[in-house]
Amino acid sequence: MPILSYLALPQTGGLKQLCNDLDGLEYCEIIPSLNEEVVVLVTDTPDLKAEKNLQKTLKELPSLQSLSMTFGHNAEQ
Amino acid sequence: MKLNRRSFIKSAAAGSAIATAGALFPGISFAHWQKQEGASGQITWQKAPCRFCGTGCGVLVGVSGDRAVAVKGDPNCSVNKGLCCVKGYHSVQALYGKDRLTKAKIRKGNKMVEVPIKEALDVIAAKMKETIKKHGKDSVSMYGSGQWTIPDGYVASKLFKGCIGTNNVEANARLCMASAVTGFLTSFGSDEPMGCYEDIEHADVFVTWGNNMAEMHPVLFSRMLASRKRKKDVTIIDFATRTTRTSQAADKSILFKPNTDLAVANAICYEIIRNKWVNWDFVKKHTTFHKGKTNIGYGTEDHFKFKDAPEDISFNEYKEFLEDYTPEKVERISGVSAKDIKYMASLYGDPKKKCTSFWCMGMNQHVRGTWINNLVYNIHLLTGKISTPGNSPFSLTGQPSACGTVREVGTLTHKLPYGVVMNEKARKKAAKIWNVPVSNIDPKPTYHTVEMFRALDRGDIRFMWIQVTNPMITMPNLNRYRNGALKDDRFIVVSDVYPTPTTDVADVILPATMWVEQEGMFGNSERRTQHFDRIVPGPGETMSDTWQIIEVARRLGFKKQFPWSKKDYIGKIWEEYRRFHDHPKHNMAPYTLLKERSGVQWPFVNGKETRWRFNAKYDPACKPGSKFDFYGKKDGKAWIWARPYESAAESPDNEYNFWLNTGRVIEHWHTGSMTRRVPILNAAMPESYVEINPEDAMDLGVVNGEKVKIISRRGSVTMKASINGRGVPPRGQVFVPFFDESYKINEVTLDAFCPISKQPDYKKCAVRLEKA
Amino acid sequence: MMKKAETIFGKVVFGFAAVCLFGALGAQSVQAAPGIPQGFDSDGEKIFNRYNETPLAAMTGTDGTRNLNAYYDLRQYPGSPPRIPHKVATSFSGEAQNCLACHETGGYDPELDAFAPVTPHPENVLCYQCHVPMRTDKLFVESEWQSINPPKLGLSQLGGSPPPIPHSLQLREDCIACHTGPAAVAEIRVEHASRGNCRQCHLPMVATEPPVKAFKRN
Repeated sequence: MPILSYLALPQTGGLKQLCNDLDGLEYCEIIPSLNEEVVVLVTDTPDLKAEKNLQKTLKELPSLQSLSMTFGHNAEQ
Repeated sequence: MKLNRRSFIKSAAAGSAIATAGALFPGISFAHWQKQEGASGQITWQKAPCRFCGTGCGVLVGVSGDRAVAVKGDPNCSVNKGLCCVKGYHSVQALYGKDRLTKAKIRKGNKMVEVPIKEALDVIAAKMKETIKKHGKDSVSMYGSGQWTIPDGYVASKLFKGCIGTNNVEANARLCMASAVTGFLTSFGSDEPMGCYEDIEHADVFVTWGNNMAEMHPVLFSRMLASRKRKKDVTIIDFATRTTRTSQAADKSILFKPNTDLAVANAICYEIIRNKWVNWDFVKKHTTFHKGKTNIGYGTEDHFKFKDAPEDISFNEYKEFLEDYTPEKVERISGVSAKDIKYMASLYGDPKKKCTSFWCMGMNQHVRGTWINNLVYNIHLLTGKISTPGNSPFSLTGQPSACGTVREVGTLTHKLPYGVVMNEKARKKAAKIWNVPVSNIDPKPTYHTVEMFRALDRGDIRFMWIQVTNPMITMPNLNRYRNGALKDDRFIVVSDVYPTPTTDVADVILPATMWVEQEGMFGNSERRTQHFDRIVPGPGETMSDTWQIIEVARRLGFKKQFPWSKKDYIGKIWEEYRRFHDHPKHNMAPYTLLKERSGVQWPFVNGKETRWRFNAKYDPACKPGSKFDFYGKKDGKAWIWARPYESAAESPDNEYNFWLNTGRVIEHWHTGSMTRRVPILNAAMPESYVEINPEDAMDLGVVNGEKVKIISRRGSVTMKASINGRGVPPRGQVFVPFFDESYKINEVTLDAFCPISKQPDYKKCAVRLEKA
Repeated sequence: MMKKAETIFGKVVFGFAAVCLFGALGAQSVQAAPGIPQGFDSDGEKIFNRYNETPLAAMTGTDGTRNLNAYYDLRQYPGSPPRIPHKVATSFSGEAQNCLACHETGGYDPELDAFAPVTPHPENVLCYQCHVPMRTDKLFVESEWQSINPPKLGLSQLGGSPPPIPHSLQLREDCIACHTGPAAVAEIRVEHASRGNCRQCHLPMVATEPPVKAFKRN
């Protein structure tokens, strides 16, 4: 049951789009910055399979420029 | 609880991401996260005195960009040493209420219309000229505040008293500190406390006289509790008419019937003499005995006049006067047991114990406010417990600059920055510094606050400019004065930061900058002057109260007296004002020093602050060779007064059978126009209530939260009952906090005042209750 | 981090110890005059009394072993009475003095090798009325019980401003009991135990209740 957090950077000017996209994904919670083009993403998936699927989806998001992990935890380990 | 653990981990995960973001993007903030500490952005800190009470805590205002974002206690400020109260910690949020006034408004018919501020200032100046021409100079008036900065009050006094030539300048401090002033003047001839907050660490005994310090001066109260914990043999006595948070913390809570503190104070003196606890060495060298008029009235009628006629008496005459105040006799008047009276006397009388008395509105908002101030000084004078560390009769203030602006600058009808208008020397000095003909300054005082609002109602005053205060909540017997302000041909200008019941009656509203949006100085309870810079810009067209007055003064043709530029006017005004106090009894620190330090105490002589006045060891103004010198009085002696017990203006009777007492709560400051816009303070105390004794509530058939109608001869308010809430009044008394404009309790209160100080008594009138 | 806490309270320790070092230091309580009301203002008197009676050393000491996870593990929902995590004698059935010997003023218990948490309501002496020990970890039937998250920490309105009191004060009026001393939960332990007028800075804003509407003029 991994919990991870990231800093997500949008394509230029696309913060709103990125927030919409991320917010629509299962297992994702976001905290957008009010004054910078960056959004905090916290993911909380039930198992490794879901985690892998999510990571794949994230990689394919067109509105996302880059994603850098800041925290990782697997509760059952 | 797995669910919980996950949420903990998730918040840690988010926190980690936010911390990383903060390192990458300085100043970044996040939605729903701006509340989180550690959301690292960059904050710069600048010193200021707190905006609220007269304690004068030093705060550091945290600024990010052009916004104030945080507050911490200023560790360099000796007042609070880094600790604030909940209001102070959240004070900067009071700048950002959504309904902030940012544009000037003018009444057109029934509507207030936004106009450029220049146009509003033109209208004010034109209206003042017209009113003076039609009705004379005494038909225009200024009603200011103990929240005025020192420059605000100074330019107001200069314009009205020096230039226009009317003494129609008053401030709301008349409603809160006037009895303290007349108390000091009649006992010592010099205003403001002799001691300082350091007394708290030195004292062994504290008596709070009708003073709920735990809520109203919490930072000083905490200092007192910490001292008791450290020293272990410290005693705190809460002497009050109602049980409060202060009573809970005190070693002993003693309740007295309203107004009978006069009798108890005399009984304490009686006991001190009977037990031979008098410090004769001190009394013989440094005091004289006096009496004044008795049955002095209550000022409830228009044009009330009173002048005391002091007479010298001997010690024996004083002793004879006290025969009416044996503990046993006073027990019958006050409800305080003779045993408790003797106990209090024994604490004050014990030569080994250092005693400090604290008071604020309980003693000042009192129909015999001057007298009760005198009587508490008597106790300290008879025992010689005064002007030395730990021995301190200490009058606290409720506003940040009641001392600094109203008492020191003298924004009261009879006062000048130095001396009184009746005194020719004082007028000459003022005329010289102000660069006006001495004939401009009228030697006759006009109206004190209550009478000023009566004059507005009668039509003697036609124009009133109100700054930084909310009299349409705070005037006692409010219905009369609101109706007066609303009469035709009355012109009301209000400078404020938020809409209030006072801006509701305005013809012109000026949007003011608030607190650290402007440069200024406050003066706190312990003679400390505290400078603050303009730390953040004010919104919209807001303008400092000082600059508003300067703009109008120039439009009235007084350019020569108001020559300053916007860039450095505060420093220039300070240095001009300081000339009034150019003597060792009241020297003020120079501007450059005020900017550097977290407050400087006056008298500031030869580069040193004076901690204890009238004591030659600490005060350079004392006569050489003396030990104590009460130099405010011509003979250098403090006055002990024979002042009797007299009853309140209106006491409960068969029809109106309850006392009504009013006051504050820790969350809200005065009328709540600022603190109710601070989310956490509003959340903790969203509305006012009426405290009822549990047994009275049972008789009335009311449970907690049920509505009760409070009815007096003047008005009524219906509000929720609070039983065993914040405080508990004794049977036959109710208490209502006055901060809530939805429940205007001052429509119920009585406009009786102390005939000497002219300060109204908000603590005592008669009401009856109905279950609503 | 999460596991460590469980090892301390999870293991079964026999015998009930009553060696409480700080217990002996309690001073006599401050008494107001007879006839003065008691029990108003959310029993705020408790805070002042405990502040005055507890030696500073007892307030500032810490062993840092109790943390918030362990704390909530003993509770079914935020504000529920915690279960008793240690063994108690079967003959003991609510005799207050036995519980209060350790839990009134706190102190170190060598048998449990832990500091006893201090109860904020020692006047309620029938402890078993609300607090029960756990004799089995097997359930009668599985439960679908779910609760809400406990209040978040750090709900300060501004960076560095004093956080509000996120819980109801009912039965938890005495701030000093839980938020100072060696047995205090690490995350909610105050670092300024030398201050005694807690509600001078911290106001109740109960996180689990709907927020009060912002002030609006009528």
